[in-house]
Amino acid sequence: MRILLVEDDVLLGAGIRDALDRSRRTVEWVTDGRQAQAALRGSEFDLVLLDLGLPGMDGIEVLRSLRAGGGRTPVLVLSARDTPPQRVLGLDAGADDYLVKPFDVDELLARVRALERRGRGAAVNVIEHGPLRLDPASHSVTCEGRPVTLQRREYMLLETLLQSAGQVLSRAQLEETLYGWDGGTESNSLDVHIHHLRRKLYPEVIRTVRGVGFVIDPDPPANAD
Amino acid sequence: MRATPGTALSIRALLLVGTSVTLLAVLGAAAWLSYSGSEEEAQELFDARLATSARVLEVLVARQVAKATVAAPIVIALPGPLEATGHDAPGPLGHYYETKIAFQVRDGNGRVVVRSASAPDSPFAPLDAGFTTRPIGGQDWRVFTLHGGDAWVQVAERDDVRGELAEKLAFAAAAPLLAGIPLLLVLLSLVIRQGLTPLSALARQVAARRPGSVAPFTLARNPAEIAPLVEALNGLLARVRDALERERRFTADAAHELRTPLAALKVHGQNAARASTSAEREASLQRMLQGLERTIHLAEQMLAYSRAAAPGDASRLERVAMAPLLREALEGIQPRVQERRCTVEIAVDSAAAESAVNGDRQKLLSLVTNLIDNAVRYSPEAGRVAVALRREGDTAVLSVSDDGPGIPSELRERVFESYYRIPGTAGAGGGLGLAIVREIAEAHGARVAIEDGPGGRGTRLIVWFPLA
Repeated sequence: MRILLVEDDVLLGAGIRDALDRSRRTVEWVTDGRQAQAALRGSEFDLVLLDLGLPGMDGIEVLRSLRAGGGRTPVLVLSARDTPPQRVLGLDAGADDYLVKPFDVDELLARVRALERRGRGAAVNVIEHGPLRLDPASHSVTCEGRPVTLQRREYMLLETLLQSAGQVLSRAQLEETLYGWDGGTESNSLDVHIHHLRRKLYPEVIRTVRGVGFVIDPDPPANAD
Repeated sequence: MRATPGTALSIRALLLVGTSVTLLAVLGAAAWLSYSGSEEEAQELFDARLATSARVLEVLVARQVAKATVAAPIVIALPGPLEATGHDAPGPLGHYYETKIAFQVRDGNGRVVVRSASAPDSPFAPLDAGFTTRPIGGQDWRVFTLHGGDAWVQVAERDDVRGELAEKLAFAAAAPLLAGIPLLLVLLSLVIRQGLTPLSALARQVAARRPGSVAPFTLARNPAEIAPLVEALNGLLARVRDALERERRFTADAAHELRTPLAALKVHGQNAARASTSAEREASLQRMLQGLERTIHLAEQMLAYSRAAAPGDASRLERVAMAPLLREALEGIQPRVQERRCTVEIAVDSAAAESAVNGDRQKLLSLVTNLIDNAVRYSPEAGRVAVALRREGDTAVLSVSDDGPGIPSELRERVFESYYRIPGTAGAGGGLGLAIVREIAEAHGARVAIEDGPGGRGTRLIVWFPLA
């Protein structure tokens, strides 16, 4: 799950980033409107958290230009602009949701989950796949009803692959989701996480497509016994 | 507390009393003039008639009886009933007033020969020809003495009869007016009440006003006497409306400006509460404390701005020496100066060392503090801030220069607006510092401007104060 956070207030931005980071999401944080526009043109995000009062370019303009360019990334506006006309303006400009500052972190995270869920066309948060059950709200994973303890990156990798089940994701895509722009990973760390997942769950859970990437097949094995 | 002035006499009472007194005075004067004029005329008329009567008596009686010898005076009596009537109506026998007229005919020796029944036996008066007024039997009588041949004729008339005529004439002249006074007062009272209705309508409107309602007052009838009051009231309301609008905007702006710092506080607070490791909790608490510092600063600046924009209190004006104020201001922000490892230098020109400004000391200190604090906040870490005070004619010139990023010339007016922050500088301050500076400068007749810093780098803020 990769989120673009656009917030010019350094202290608030750090707080939102921490909250998202601790709920196992990769956060890219920019502090002005033009950077936000550039980021949206350059990479794929699962969600944008957008402040409106931004230097460089107003958040509303960022939003309009994203929608005008055909971008369908869900956008959650976070703003101090609280009057009904201001909210209407934000929603009409293409926002999927609108949260007024100051907000509750739990509510922010719930709305983030709701938008993620809507992004993959599901009505409930929990992803079930054969014997696997992943709950994004509690970051818990069970396999055949048995709780599995996953490391942060392992969880993120599993969630990403499950959300795009049947779709082969490239090594680069997965690495960007896991580490963000900062990267700084050793070349084999992705393989290490996949190895751990196969060991903790079951070996066939992730299939390697040579030269392309990795995939979780849409038709899971009935019950691996 | 000021003493409440005593309730003045009502306009209506004042008008009614004034009109009544004036009317009574005019009527009194008219009656008096009429009385004295009539009396004079009556005296002349009565005197002439008295003299004529005497002459008739002298011709008809005196010459007959002058030589006659009479034992006792002949008394000419009035018909009995006449004397008994006792009222003013004339009758077939004569008039009751005949009792107030008397005569005596006396011979050459002064003995009374003939007299009217109303006259005494004794002589009226000494035998001196002409008019005289004498008290007889407790009443004043007007006596005319005529000497013809050997006889003396004295005709007398009670003085009060004459006065009565004059009184009646005067009363007749004044009475209708006197009777008209109550009617006039009633009418006047109604007219005044009618005339004052716009005033009571205005009073009702003012009384019915809710505290927040600042719409102008309008009167259906707005006479020239009340129009200035309505106009003045509406002028006051307009000023109140401006002040309320300013307050409202300030509150709305404050609520808006507090949202982001409060959101940051809440996020870090919740992050700390939900942290899964002590390192995470520590990091969140640290940021929350930073956020708290910022929120406290913002709240203080809001208060300072609110005070700076409030109308000044003339009693707080004093001569404020500028040089010590600079050092006091720097002392106050020492923690931030150290935190940012800034160097702040104060240079006071010898000509400006003693310069003082007339003003509110607290506000001037706030101005200087905000100028220096602003420079420290927006200059880079370990930056240099130069504060200089010099004298130019009758102005003290304070300049604060920093080596920060500078302010683009197109934004040099906007940075004085409340809550305006140059884009990209969020978090450094509340956007109120320079707004406070301008409010206080304007209240002290000082001018503020922004220039490039020394050598074209950074920012120089300059304030020109009129010297005390």
